[in-house]
Amino acid sequence: MADVSLEVPRRAVPLRLPRLPIAVSLALVWVGGMIVVALLADAIAPYGYTALDLKHRLSLPGEPAHWLGTDELGRDVLSRLITSIRISLIIAFGATLISATLGTTLGFLAAHFRGVVEQIVLMLADFQASMPFLIMALAVLAFFGNTLPLLVCLMGLYGWERYARIARGLAVAAGSQGYAAAVRQLGASPFRVYARHILPNIASTLIVSMTLVFPEVILMESGLSFLGLGVQPPMTSLGNMVGYGREYITRAPWIMLSPALTIVFTTLAVSVLGDWLRDRLDPTLR
Amino acid sequence: MIRYLLGRAARALLTVALVVTFAFVVLRMSADPALVILGPEASPEMIVAFRKAWGLDESIFVQYLDWFRAILRGDLGISMRDGRPAIELVAERIPATLALTIPALMIKIGIGIPAGIWASLHRGTMVDRAVMGLAVAGFTVPSFVLGLTLVLIFSVWLGWLPSGGQDNWVHAVLPIVTMGVGGAAILARFTRSAMLEVLGQPFIRTASAKGVPWGRVIRGHALPNAAIPTVTMVGFMVGTLMAGAVVVESVFSWPGVGRLLVVAVSHRDLAVVQCILLVVAATMVTSNLVVDFLYGFLDPRLRSGARTGGH
Repeated sequence: MADVSLEVPRRAVPLRLPRLPIAVSLALVWVGGMIVVALLADAIAPYGYTALDLKHRLSLPGEPAHWLGTDELGRDVLSRLITSIRISLIIAFGATLISATLGTTLGFLAAHFRGVVEQIVLMLADFQASMPFLIMALAVLAFFGNTLPLLVCLMGLYGWERYARIARGLAVAAGSQGYAAAVRQLGASPFRVYARHILPNIASTLIVSMTLVFPEVILMESGLSFLGLGVQPPMTSLGNMVGYGREYITRAPWIMLSPALTIVFTTLAVSVLGDWLRDRLDPTLR
Repeated sequence: MIRYLLGRAARALLTVALVVTFAFVVLRMSADPALVILGPEASPEMIVAFRKAWGLDESIFVQYLDWFRAILRGDLGISMRDGRPAIELVAERIPATLALTIPALMIKIGIGIPAGIWASLHRGTMVDRAVMGLAVAGFTVPSFVLGLTLVLIFSVWLGWLPSGGQDNWVHAVLPIVTMGVGGAAILARFTRSAMLEVLGQPFIRTASAKGVPWGRVIRGHALPNAAIPTVTMVGFMVGTLMAGAVVVESVFSWPGVGRLLVVAVSHRDLAVVQCILLVVAATMVTSNLVVDFLYGFLDPRLRSGARTGGH
């Protein structure tokens, strides 16, 4: 079969720069700041996250040597916070990517093969949606041990069923539209049809779903780590720090407060962005 | 209607079977429980004897069939840690968990649904924004952060309420509030969007155009239609009565099912974990079935059989 090039001249879409609501601007600034902190963690952290300063144990926040204070072992809370942000964001980004890829692929498979494959995918999706994820994650994690890659993969199972349902629904709808039929009849392989033609058309809806699932992944990971079953010491994550700081809640509440606030602001910011994006991009809400 | 319910019941059974399979696959294939329980000093003879006693020397397929058969007999295995039946250990924790989750559910319903309806009827006003702002905050604050913050304020600083333990009802206040607030926020958001969707429908405009008083439009037309998605959400919350308190129980050292699960998981107590998974799944599945049954009352289209079967 001749290799037909299907380049479509891109029409320049007039870019409307929306006036951002204040909440959305603040959320963008916060998320941007978090990403910068995560990327530059090693460069900007004043101390190593396991470095002990036994002379300054449980020192109050505000001192020039330790802006956010120190914990029981004299470890700098700010440095630990910066490392925690990096770890938590790595897990959340990695998990969201895995979950979106897995869900979209399964959704496409269901849309392409229909029949038994579709039924199996839908059944698994129902199953995933009907069982509390935390319970299943607890079972898997504690029995397989806790390595960072495993944790990322496990969290990557969070929310896949939502992408799968969306991708299946949209792909089925796209299959009956002219463009998909046209490239198929030109001899494009199914992979090409889905990856190069249908995916770009439904990407905006999927991206919105990602911003809506992302904060939930952060919450889930921090919950697991808080229970002591997520990220394992000496490695640290936001939930881990809260779980550890809880032991010192009467004597040194600052150990717990800064990671707790970081979790809250980050999930809040991403949720605000997600809601805003959904209102702007999701055509079904127009 | 009957066909619809039978289909739902079949799916419910299938879900439980999937949970059982999931539990079995994950727990049996991850690590050797004999080594975990007996420790590294165990002699090879002890390990062989242990495996034989627990049926771990059979092939995985035989173990799977045995596990299924045992469940059908109502035998959920024996805790490897203290030798008592797992179902007993779990059952004695259930009242403590329900003592938290049922009042919390009442808070969620009692605050969340009215707040959502109220916000939807005052869309765009300050009231709406305030309710929704609180709802977003309630949703993005993780329960352990909220719980610990409440402990910090009411136990550590003010000294009004105990921070943990289970001596009398006072100990339950903070955990119940922690769970109730988050759930109420989610339910308020959900109810509001369900109401807004219904309020935008043509039949609402028709009803008010033909002179029906607004209050009756809301009560007679909007609320019953918005009830369907809201009932789904409440059904999901009822389904998590057993499982919804894992984190909160840990924060407040509350001796419920959730704490038992965390402890059992960290000790690799297979029978107890499997038993809890099953109890949780059974609760979820039952409440889903009840919700499906309620749909029959709420949605007359289902009763007449116009929309039977799954999706």
